Amino acid sequence: MRFLPLIWSGIWRKPGRAILIFLQVCVAFALFGVLQGLKTGVEQLVRAARADVLLVHGSLSLIDSLPLSLLDQIKSVPGVEVVVPVELSGGIYQNPSQKLGIVAIRPEPGWLAAFTFTIAPEYAEALRRTRTGAIVMEGLVKRYGWKIGDHIPLKSATVQTNGSTDWTFEVVGTYTDSDVGGGRDNILINYDYYDEARVAGRGTVKHFNVAVSDPKRAVTVADEIDRRFANSSNETRTESLRELAQMNLQSIGDLNFLIRAIVSAVLVALLFATATMMMQSIRERTPELAVLKTLGFSNRAVFLCILAEALVVFIAAAACGLALAMLVFPLASRIVPGLSMPVIVVAVGVASAVLVAVISVSVPALSAARLKIAAALASR
Amino acid sequence: MNFIRQFLGILLVNLAGVPQRIAPVLTIIIGVSCAVGVLVSMLAMGTGARRQEMGDASDDRVILATAGERVFQGNISREEAAAVLQLPGIRKGSQGEPIVVFDSEVPVEGRRRVTGNRIFFPLIGTTPTVTEYLPEMRFTGGRMFQRGLHELIASNSCVRQFTGFDLGDRRPIHGSEWTVVGHFDLGQAQQCSVYADVDSLMSTFSSNTYTSVSVRLQTPADFDAFSDAIKANPSLHLEAKREREVIEDGFKQLNAILNFVSYFVGTIMAIGATLGAVNSLYAIVDSRRRELATMRAIGFGSAAIVASVLCESLVWAIPGALLGSALAWAFFNGLSASPFGYSFQLAVTPSLVALGVVWALAMGLAGGLLPALRAARVPVTTALRAI
Repeated sequence: MRFLPLIWSGIWRKPGRAILIFLQVCVAFALFGVLQGLKTGVEQLVRAARADVLLVHGSLSLIDSLPLSLLDQIKSVPGVEVVVPVELSGGIYQNPSQKLGIVAIRPEPGWLAAFTFTIAPEYAEALRRTRTGAIVMEGLVKRYGWKIGDHIPLKSATVQTNGSTDWTFEVVGTYTDSDVGGGRDNILINYDYYDEARVAGRGTVKHFNVAVSDPKRAVTVADEIDRRFANSSNETRTESLRELAQMNLQSIGDLNFLIRAIVSAVLVALLFATATMMMQSIRERTPELAVLKTLGFSNRAVFLCILAEALVVFIAAAACGLALAMLVFPLASRIVPGLSMPVIVVAVGVASAVLVAVISVSVPALSAARLKIAAALASR
Repeated sequence: MNFIRQFLGILLVNLAGVPQRIAPVLTIIIGVSCAVGVLVSMLAMGTGARRQEMGDASDDRVILATAGERVFQGNISREEAAAVLQLPGIRKGSQGEPIVVFDSEVPVEGRRRVTGNRIFFPLIGTTPTVTEYLPEMRFTGGRMFQRGLHELIASNSCVRQFTGFDLGDRRPIHGSEWTVVGHFDLGQAQQCSVYADVDSLMSTFSSNTYTSVSVRLQTPADFDAFSDAIKANPSLHLEAKREREVIEDGFKQLNAILNFVSYFVGTIMAIGATLGAVNSLYAIVDSRRRELATMRAIGFGSAAIVASVLCESLVWAIPGALLGSALAWAFFNGLSASPFGYSFQLAVTPSLVALGVVWALAMGLAGGLLPALRAARVPVTTALRAI
């Protein structure tokens, strides 16, 4: 503790140099934080996606429709717990820039098992009772100031049987979504109401959501579903949410080699710059260090003082850089909802800062510790 | 004259002193080379992608799409298609038939050879005139598909990237089996292209319209006449675009992303390298206080000192830029990347190297400014007294 003032004044011996080193370390770790953070963050999202929720969609692409009649056949596959039909469309609230997604589902008992939504039981019950009801994404309610019981008018591309494209839904509750990309602006409505009210495409769904009874058997169940429809006019492709997340985000994974190269270039350049700077700085301080030893500082104390100076600067700068990197994540999470700075990246960042500090300072600090007082003072 | 003599004199002294100051000099060079290396290799993605996309573009090729729809997603009826054959300016093939290609695209899935990952790519139903429309198409094995049969031909990049494209392989598509009968190379394209007979494909998918029609003109100059003829014909709801324009449109978004990321990362690296250079040059100037003060005392001007320190900083930036570009070339040139559904090879070109040198000079200049001013302002008396 009593060495603290000494360490502090050692850091500020040359304020200009201290600030430059601080900034350099800060910039390096800001870049490290952004690149490594995005990469690891995406990987974590994929790993966190549910492997036990399956999506059954047309085998050709994600935009084809399937007939609702497949539902019973899917339900009969052993291991399938719940099957929920899902139809997707979009709507506009008030003006064309306020878009939202309309997700029509059938709220049968247990349907929530096949989704990543969190919905209070009374809201789910209210949706079942209210034909024109809608459960709204939490953020949307706040943005547009909707309340439960409000009737919200939406314009949609889907034409109703009465020829109108205006749809009105009653807000019966709110939900949150824990899936990768779950932050989207969606509302959940009753499939049966939606399907009867529309003119075109009646009796079709975009996909079925399936919950399996045993998560370990998810792959077998998926294969079995696809096998049942193989060579029919409605070939299916069944995938877990995790596989879908992997597909959507793999483009970033393809840049791994580049991210690795950049991160290593940053650290190498930083290590070299700080090592030479430390060497220079300690060479300049030889007479002062000799005085310290004359006053009775042991070799170890001198070594530790110098090491501590470097550690304080590097850890503070790295923390600052990583904090800057975190500012990027709110922006990035607009593209990949749910993305956040992984704790492990922060930990690895701080650990690398310690490592860079120790490597760049240990050689000059060792030679400083081994100084012969007489020789050092004589060289003045 | 005097200034230049002084400047050169100091610069020579500076450079002669390098062996004693090798560490800070190396710091500048390594810092600059890392920054330039990263910038150049990131930009090499954009250059590679552009070279890849534009490499085979030809000015005499025109793509027709339904007016207002996105290219390759049109709805072109058989009547419209037949009318296109009568338009002026279309080049005639070896058999005397106009070189017009009718396409119908459907997405089909493939699996990557290495990772087993699923990926969608377009299966293009086309007419046999495609070989004259794409003169760069060269068969390396097997043969052309036959009309009316369920046969596929695939580019060699499909064979490299995906499973199930070897000659004789059967692929189930929409309830029927399709046999791979030919392999071809398509100019510089790295993208996987699979062709089948358009009529077989459309009857399999019970579709009645083409998604796009492509035409090869007699000369690129015929475009305006051709385009006007389409507009003049009320039964044609089509829009003609040059191939180059279509590719450019499709490429815009990727280009913007790549450029943003490259310059974002490049700028941060450059700031880091500049800070390193400032620190190193300060250290160099500090270690030479006495020398500089002596020079001032014997009559060297401040301006000459400023100029010489700045120049030294620029001198170290250039080998840094060249080293960085060389590393980028060695590690990344020709490397295949496939981000965002594209696939291309990174290309480190001389113009990128030139850009790297410009960035390095900017870093050197920005980094050298403050230390140069400090060097010129060393108070002569205090510096000399410190001896």
